[in-house]
Order: sequence, then structure tokens, then C-alpha cells
Amino acid sequence: MSYSKENVESIVNNGISRRSFLKGLAASGVLSSFPGGILQANEDLNTKIPYLGEKSYQTFRNACPRNCYDTCSIKTYVKDGVMQFIEGATESTYTRGGCCVKGNSYVKRVYSARRLKFPMMQVGGKGSGNWKRISWDQAMDIIAKKLLEMKKEDGTLLGAALTKYSGNFGITHYGIEGMFNSIGYTTRLAGTPCWPAGIDAQNLDMGDMWCNDPEEMKDSKFIILWGVNPASNSVHSMKYIYEAKKKGAKVVVIDPVFTEAASKASQYIQIKTGTDGLLALGMAKIIIDANLHDQKWLDANSKGYKEYKAYLDKEIKLDNVSKITGIPLAMIKELALSFAKAKPATIWMGYGMQRHTNGGSMIRAIDAFVAVSGNIGKYAGGARYGHLSTWGFNYAALSQPKPEGSVGYTGPEGAKGEFAQVGGEKAAYTDRFLNINKTARELINAKEPKVRLLWVACKNVFAQDFDRNQLIRAFQQLDLVVVADQFFNETAKWADIVLPVATQFEEYDVNVSYWHYWLTLNEQAIKPLFEVKSDLEIAAMLSKRMNQLQPGSCTFPQSVDTKAMMVKEFNPGIYEQFGIKSWEELKNGPVKAKAVIPYADGKFKTPSGKFEFYSDKALELFGSALPTYLEVRKPYDKFRMTSPHSRWSLHSQFQNLEWMEDVHPEPYVYINPEDAEAKMVKEGDTVAVFNKQGLLRLKAKLTDNVQAGTVLMYEQWYNNNIYNVNELVDDTSSDMGAFKTGAPGVALHDTFVNFRKL
Amino acid sequence: MQKAFLVDGSICLGCNTCAMACKNQYHQDKGILWRKVREIGAEEYHIDNNNILPTLVSYQKAPKAEMPMERFYFSLACNHCENPACVAICPVGAHTKDPETGICKHDQTICIGCGGCVKACPFGASKFNEKMGQAEKCSMCWERQADGKTTACVQSCPVGAIAIIDLHDPKYKEYANAAPIGIDYAINAETKPSTRFIHPSMPKEVYRLPKG
Repeated sequence: MSYSKENVESIVNNGISRRSFLKGLAASGVLSSFPGGILQANEDLNTKIPYLGEKSYQTFRNACPRNCYDTCSIKTYVKDGVMQFIEGATESTYTRGGCCVKGNSYVKRVYSARRLKFPMMQVGGKGSGNWKRISWDQAMDIIAKKLLEMKKEDGTLLGAALTKYSGNFGITHYGIEGMFNSIGYTTRLAGTPCWPAGIDAQNLDMGDMWCNDPEEMKDSKFIILWGVNPASNSVHSMKYIYEAKKKGAKVVVIDPVFTEAASKASQYIQIKTGTDGLLALGMAKIIIDANLHDQKWLDANSKGYKEYKAYLDKEIKLDNVSKITGIPLAMIKELALSFAKAKPATIWMGYGMQRHTNGGSMIRAIDAFVAVSGNIGKYAGGARYGHLSTWGFNYAALSQPKPEGSVGYTGPEGAKGEFAQVGGEKAAYTDRFLNINKTARELINAKEPKVRLLWVACKNVFAQDFDRNQLIRAFQQLDLVVVADQFFNETAKWADIVLPVATQFEEYDVNVSYWHYWLTLNEQAIKPLFEVKSDLEIAAMLSKRMNQLQPGSCTFPQSVDTKAMMVKEFNPGIYEQFGIKSWEELKNGPVKAKAVIPYADGKFKTPSGKFEFYSDKALELFGSALPTYLEVRKPYDKFRMTSPHSRWSLHSQFQNLEWMEDVHPEPYVYINPEDAEAKMVKEGDTVAVFNKQGLLRLKAKLTDNVQAGTVLMYEQWYNNNIYNVNELVDDTSSDMGAFKTGAPGVALHDTFVNFRKL
Repeated sequence: MQKAFLVDGSICLGCNTCAMACKNQYHQDKGILWRKVREIGAEEYHIDNNNILPTLVSYQKAPKAEMPMERFYFSLACNHCENPACVAICPVGAHTKDPETGICKHDQTICIGCGGCVKACPFGASKFNEKMGQAEKCSMCWERQADGKTTACVQSCPVGAIAIIDLHDPKYKEYANAAPIGIDYAINAETKPSTRFIHPSMPKEVYRLPKG
């Protein structure tokens, strides 16, 4: 049987249409006893459902576990075992009663006809489209036997690889890594494609990545949103920015793109991409020359200021700064001086800015400017990037012992990723770490033993990783690919076994944010639909089967209750930080950590204990002790391509939902009218955008929101569209990331393309 | 009292949270939105053939606006008109105007699906659900309001860009603007739409890189 969409869909839908399924249920009288059945996507049945009054519903606490600044606290309304609607929790001053456009589509996500419902196996080989439904027992039997066979043949389990990233940031979801810990020493795709260069930069400068509470921004007197677009990607932060603006603060957006946030700012400054670090160095020079720097703070709290100033004096020429950044000198001076005069003033740095070959150096330069202005360690000030200071859980689900006698890797140890760096005893062996940002080539090149089994969880590899052609080759050479997901996405199409995973409404968990300071309980609100299982339950089932086949081969608990596991993640430190006595208090709503101003005490976790303009570690790892100007990657094709996050999706999630298609149906490439004219492209024309990596066809929109020489496409996965912007991105590394996250980041905004009208 | 939506285009992010929150509450079928976030400057002004009420065809179009693409918006649902065409045309009384609040409600249990309201409304607020064979529209979450909550759209907006005001309250009497800029909208329609608008503007200072 060859691949056909209808074939896949019919299996996804269990061979019968939703409508006849429901009809059958109704006829047999089981509809009323079938939780969730009524709200299935039969579009004939579910138009206006009335609001029945608060008392008519059972309510549950939930959290949005996606890779997002906002990590919303949710209140879920359930009737007769069926989710009716959700609201943002009113107890959180950050979520303040409302989720975003994505969060508000959750009911559809849970009850979408497109959800994966049963374990499936691609019997015709990867990419054949020839699927059959299998039972959980069959699935676990195949996987367990494969693992044990590999262990026997290789003597280790290093042939088994796990790639898991940000599909669900709930704390118990580290149980997926826990599952791999529990079978022995394995191979991990380590690092992060998201924000590693900036993490390294902040750690070099301040010994930590730690940002002020975003809610303080309402009292900032000057805010620079530098390469960040909260109007699209952190909508709940905008109210604080608006409040500050209303109170007279100046809000400046520096960005190569005239973003949604730029359109709501006091001032928008367009900058040539990749020159932000130089601008920050120039601004620092200006305020030092004007004697507006905070000498007292610098004397008490910094290391290497003298060397840094000497570098600025010698190397930074303001005329040059203006020429390279494209910004008039008078405007740069005005910006720097008014920032220095306003107290407190703050800069929020976006993650896109560090997805360049010089990304880490740019974050370091901006950190240094904020430090020089005396705004580090101040209420409503700070060089904001992100934080993990509320993530001090037990990681009980993660921490599983290796089976006795496990043999692993004896090569150099790598770090494990930005979250949950749980300390452990130094073992004779380690896992083998491959760079997640070069997944395709790392899988292909791994030897002794080669990777034979890949487990994909909380991740859509084909949407998020780079170099599609190599990825297909990598997947094809694997013996067994297991994909645990909620939807039948491109990665699932290249799997051998697909496992249907629970949504957060079908399991317990606990969530915090890498941006705000709230802690949210995630309760199980409904029974799991169909045959879906939580990632923890899947791990338990695998453990059970492995131990049946070979006792002692897996240490993961053989049955697991997501609630009990969630409870195990709490500890006195969390309770103390959030001022609660027990996790059960979270049933009353989310709570906020006790207020702390980062670095207000002048204590930095750098080797010197001070803010380090001069970092020996930076010199050792990246060849420059100081934040210096590093030129961005040279173009290899005619136009720069930038691929920011869309507001309709969180990476490859949400845009595929039926409801999202109603508000945003299709992708576009945004082209500056000047470039379009040269290529004779008109609004709405279909164009091919291509480079050495691949080719995409999509409609053009013409706008000077993007600067000439740059085209913009959003990163999204559509259900019925093969569009995927990452097919044009190669896996060139950014400058930093290897220090704290195990691997350098990806310079994905240093992608170059050409385009023509079709 | 005339309850009305006040939409603030100066802070609206265009994020569509309001439209999705409405779907979240009422589960409108695919293809149907009771609330729609409309982009200023992006719409083609068209001759409206929808309207079958001769008294209402003389409405004017809103003034055009040149704004950057995909940056400025008005969020619109039913305008809860003071003199609603849907109520006038409905043969079975499925559309009613609440005498106390001024909310224009639609009751689907009564609707016979004649489609009169869909054609009569100058703003396209009533939608026809082909599968149900019935009309449907925003009823300003009157059940939620009666329960002491606000509407789904107002509650969910992350920046407070939608508010519910009473047009008859002297404090709001002349509030904001009845005529939006830059979207296809029947200003001065005799139905007297209640929605009011705060207009957006570009940032005071905008610097773009020079050409070439």
C-alpha cells in the first residue's frame, strides 16, 4: 500500500468517520457514559454551548506547559467529565484571568479529531504511509525487545538515543529523561536550539541567568525592548509595558523588523541585523564619555571595567558604530543618554538576537551597557533575558538509578541542557551526548555503537531541527524510531511506532516559568481520551515489559500515578520560596515567589563574585575576555531570511488546530516592496524561496515592516500544508552555548535565501 | 442602558485572543467566528449586496487609513445596535433586544434558519451555520454577565483593549468614536451600532534604515 493522506487519516480516525462513530455510540446508549465523546470534532454537533453558571461546573487548576515566557495559570471548567472551556486564573496577577490565543484553543486541542488515539506501527517502513493499529502491549513488547537485543549485541545501551525538548516543560515530564536514565547509559541529543548563547553570555557576565520580575516593568522609567516582541510572544507582559508608558516611561524597540511591539512603542529604531552588540558598545562609550556611568556601582561590583573602558576607548569609533548599525549618531547619543538619565531603566533582550554567529557576544555587550548605566541589581531595572531561579524541584521523575552493571560512555562528559541540571556522583561511565542542534548529522555520524533506536518525545524533530534531507537519511538508517506525540505530524510520518500522549488536562504536573515568578499546579481535569497515556505511564509500561523479559533491566517504577509523582517533585526549598506549607495550597490558585531583586546584594556567582566585564572563562572558552564586537556571518545568498515565532503557534504546536486555522489559515513570506519590485513580485503572488538547503513555495505579502534585503517567514507547522521554514536553515552554530548547555546554539537567523515569482 | 463594546485600537495587539476566547466559550464550528479581529488598512472596500432592508442601504463606508501591514486592529463582534435590523426582520422572535441591558440576543432554540438576519445585518454579525441550518451570533455573553462575570473576550484580552460601557451613561455618552478608520464598516447605519472606537496611531518616532 502506498502513502496516501486518506489512508493515514482513516487510521488516525480508527477507520470510521467521527460522525458514524458518534451515531453508533448514541444508538447503543453509551454516548452519555463516554467522557469527552460529546465534544468530539463532529462539526454538526457542537455549535453554541450555553454558559450555565459558575456552579454548574467542576473546576480544575491547570498550567500551560508550553515553551513560552507566559506559562499561564489556567482554570478549567468541566461538566459531566467533559472540558467545556478554560479561563486564565484570576489569582495570578500575571495571567490575570486570560490565556492567549493559543491557550484559548485548548478545548479544541484535547477534542480534536486529528489527535492521535491509539498506538500505531508503520508496517510498510518509514515514510510508506502504511500504518496499522497496535495495542500498547504490542508496542511495548517491540520496543523492550529491541532495547534488550541492542544491549546484548553492543554490551551497552548507547545505541538507544533520546531527543526530547520543549513540547511540555512540566517538571514531571523530565520523567522521559528518567525513563532513559532507568535503562542504562544511553545517547542523548543535548543542548538547546532556543537560547544557549545568551545563557552563556549572562553566566559569563553575572554567573547566572536571572531576571527581574517582569511585573516590575510597570515602574521602569525607560524600557528598551531589544530584539524582543512581547506583543506577539509574551502578550501578558505588555500590560506592564503599557502601564509604564502611561506613567511617562519611554519605550524603545530596537529591532531589524517593525514588530507588533514596535508599533505600540514610543520609538522604533531599525537596526542592521547582527550589529546590536556594536550599538551597545557605542552606547556604553557615549554614557561613559558623558560621565553618566555609575562609577560607584562599578567600583564596588565589577571586575575588569578598566580593561573594558580601554577597549571602548581604543576600538569603538562612534562614526563607525553609526555606519555599521545604520543608525544616525545623534539618535544613538540621544538613546544612550536618556537611558542613562532615567532611573530605573531596563533592557529586555530577545532570544532571536542570540541566534546569530555572534549572538552571545551581542548579549554580553548589552549586559555590559546595562551594568555601566548602574541598572543591575535595581528594582524595575536589570538586563532581562530569563531565569531558572524558581525551578528548584526534586526532579524525582528524572532521577532514576541505572540498572546494576550498566556500561556506558567513557568519553568526555557533556552538560545535559539548560533545565534540571541535577548533580550526581561522578560515575565511571556517562551517557553519550550528541548536539541537538546538529541532530541529523550527529545521528548519522555516531559510531561505536551506532544509534539504532531513537525515542522522540515532547519534540517535533522534522519541524524544529535543521537540514531535512539529512534528517530523512538519519531516520531511515535507524532500526526503530518511536514518536510519542499528540498529533500526526511530519516526525510521526517518519516513525516506526507512534504512541498517543496525554494532554496536560489528562494528567498531573507542576509548572513554573523561565520569565515570571508564579508556581502553578496542573491537575488532571478529565479522564484520558481514547488510549492516550501520559509520558510517565508510558515509561512505566516500558519498565514493566523490560523487567518481564529480563528482570532488573529497568529501574523505572512499573506503575506510576502522575499525581504521586507530581507530589514528589516538591521540597522545603520550593515551599519556602513560594511561602506555602503544602502543594495542596495550590488548589486554591497559583502562588508567586517571594520578591527578590536579582544581584541587589552585589553578589554575583562569577569566579570573582562580581559583574565580570573581563571574564577569564570567556577568554578560555570563546577567545575573548571582554564583550567585544564580533561581525555577524557573511551572506551566502542574496537575501537574509529571518524566521521569528508566530503568535499563532508555539513552535510546531497550535497552528495545526481547526480553530487556529479560522483566525490564521496560511503562511506567507513577507518581502520589502523594494526587493519585490526588483523581482517583479506583487502582493499575493506565489513565490519560491530557496537556498542551498531547500525550497518553499508560498504567497508573498509586501511590507516595509521588514527591511530591504531581508525576507521574513514565521516558524509554524500546519496540518494541511507542507510549509516548514526550518527546511531552509542549515545547522551553523552560534558563538556560545557550549559553556552551560552542552552545545552551542544555532545561528538560525543567519540564513540566506533567494526568491523568485512562480 | 445600552451596553456596548469599546475597542481600543491604540493598545490592541491583534493577537486574536478575544476571537479565540469566544470559540473557547461557545465552540463555534470551523469557519465561523462571532468575533473577528480586523486589520486596519487591509480590507478592500466593497459594495455591500448583503443588505436587503431598503432603509439601511444608504450607510457610508468608514474612512480609509494607510497603516503598516498587520500591526493595527479593531476587534469586532455584534455591534448590539440600538435599532437592530436582526430583531426587526426575525419572523419568530429568535432575535430580541434586552430592554434592560440593550444586548441583542439570539436564541438558537427558536431560530428557524430563514437567514433573514444574516442578510439584514449591515455588519455581518449574524452568521449562518450551514450544518445546523441556523443563524448564530454574539449575544454579549449575557449568561456570563448575569452570573457576575464579564464577557469571554473582555476577560481574556491581555491588555484590556475591549471594555463594556453603557452608552447611556453620561460619562460615556460622547465617548470615543462611532466611526472606525480603515476597516470596511457601515458608519452612520440607521441601526445605530453601539460599538465605540479609540483610534491607534504610529509611534511618535519611527526610524527606518535608508533605502539602498
